[in-house]
Amino acid sequence: MKNFIEVTELKKVFGSGEDEVHAFGPATININSGEFVSVLGPSGCGKSTLMLMVAGLLDSTSGKVEFEKKLVNGPKTDIGIMFQDNTLVPWRTVKGNIELQLELRGLNLKDYQEQINNILKSVNLDDFADRFPNELSGGMQQRAAFCQAMIHDPKIILLDEPLGKLDAMTREKIRADFQKLWMVKKPTVIFVTHSIEEAVQLSNRVILITPRPGKIDREIKIDLPYPRDLNVKRSPKFAEYVNSIQEVFHKYGVI
Amino acid sequence: MKKFIKWVFSGWMLILFFIGFFLFWEYSIPLFDIPRYILPSPSEIVLKGSADLDKLIYYTGVTALETVLGYIIALILGVGFGIAISFSSILRRTLYPFFVSIEMTPKIAFAPLFISWFGFGLMPKVIIVVLVCFFPIVLNAILAFNSLSNELTLFYQSTGASRLKTFFSIRLPAALPQCFVGFKYAAINATVGATIAEFIGSDKGLGFYISIVTGNMRPDLAFAGIFFLTVLGLTIFGFVTMMEKILIPWHISMKRINK
Repeated sequence: MKNFIEVTELKKVFGSGEDEVHAFGPATININSGEFVSVLGPSGCGKSTLMLMVAGLLDSTSGKVEFEKKLVNGPKTDIGIMFQDNTLVPWRTVKGNIELQLELRGLNLKDYQEQINNILKSVNLDDFADRFPNELSGGMQQRAAFCQAMIHDPKIILLDEPLGKLDAMTREKIRADFQKLWMVKKPTVIFVTHSIEEAVQLSNRVILITPRPGKIDREIKIDLPYPRDLNVKRSPKFAEYVNSIQEVFHKYGVI
Repeated sequence: MKKFIKWVFSGWMLILFFIGFFLFWEYSIPLFDIPRYILPSPSEIVLKGSADLDKLIYYTGVTALETVLGYIIALILGVGFGIAISFSSILRRTLYPFFVSIEMTPKIAFAPLFISWFGFGLMPKVIIVVLVCFFPIVLNAILAFNSLSNELTLFYQSTGASRLKTFFSIRLPAALPQCFVGFKYAAINATVGATIAEFIGSDKGLGFYISIVTGNMRPDLAFAGIFFLTVLGLTIFGFVTMMEKILIPWHISMKRINK
């Protein structure tokens, strides 16, 4: 569906008077259903703010967000969400944490046992289902958080720098997990990141945000075949995309 | 097995230390010629104390009742107010600063007033125990219920779960470790409160016993009383620690791993 998510003149200002901080916008974005869109910008440019406003988890100062022409005026619940700091609770096992998502939504755990096993297997965590988060490495925790965010099959997935704290190898692995899931289930993904390479590798479209107050500099369609594996990453076209984005941020003096 | 040996070894050091401590105490009294009415030796404390055992046990029961009753009431009130203040912005702006400012007053200074208002019975002691236990519990509970991470808050909002459900699934378990910091601190305060309340005005209990025998120049019996108070305090603290292990085993194991 075209224009599945419509963001119109969206703007966020924190505080008031002299303490006023213009965090983001105004910006207008349209996202089609099943699209993988990256929001790329330097830190502090308000890209996380944008994501939270789209999800209805943060009120905007002005402008509006619509899903299928319906105005968002409270938290959206048909979403899966992942942050840089994971949302696993320390008193539940990996499996228990995945079930937490289902329990909070009032879904029947029995119907999901097979899906839980499958998603854990898909990220190689099936042997760790009964371990507690603090017994896992950072990368494994984030993979568990990935299962937690996806188990209810959300149509919209919001990722706020989910790989920010991970080492390069683990990032590579989880990127592949994201891509695999997206290619199979085709959810609409908004991926907030400050890694140019990551954005180019995963997305249909990259939205470049200027330094604060974040506005849209331009959008770049990434015309590369999926799955984007190592071969694609080595292609000259991939490097071209990365270079052109680097030039934009170089212009702003952020790199 | 390795763990067990390690445990015995670390326990050994402590036991050895205590044996050394009491031996030093025992033999330094004749050595330095310390008069018995100033400091009795441990063996004398045990000997004279055991002659008074019935009384000591009865008084321990009296003090224990005051302490435990006051502690439980403080626990219920403290957690109740803590939750109420955490979830109500009006209470956070009124009751919370009030509690913080009262926290600065030494609560024990109210003890003589309570005795004069409510007499020598059980009630004024319980009130004083409640008073010294309530503040650490309520202040830690407020901290506990307000420190949920931003990410977890956004996560449960995105599920559309009811407030009640999120409270029991996320907010309450997340708050327990910090709550127990208050519970433990209050457990230490509790016996102190009961003892001082008994010093000021009572006709039974370990605090009463200690103040009377000290007045009679019997430090041996005073030490016997102190020994029973210590056992009472350790029992209460041990019970709270045990509850912590039962209720939040994940927290204990987390600490162990982080070491």
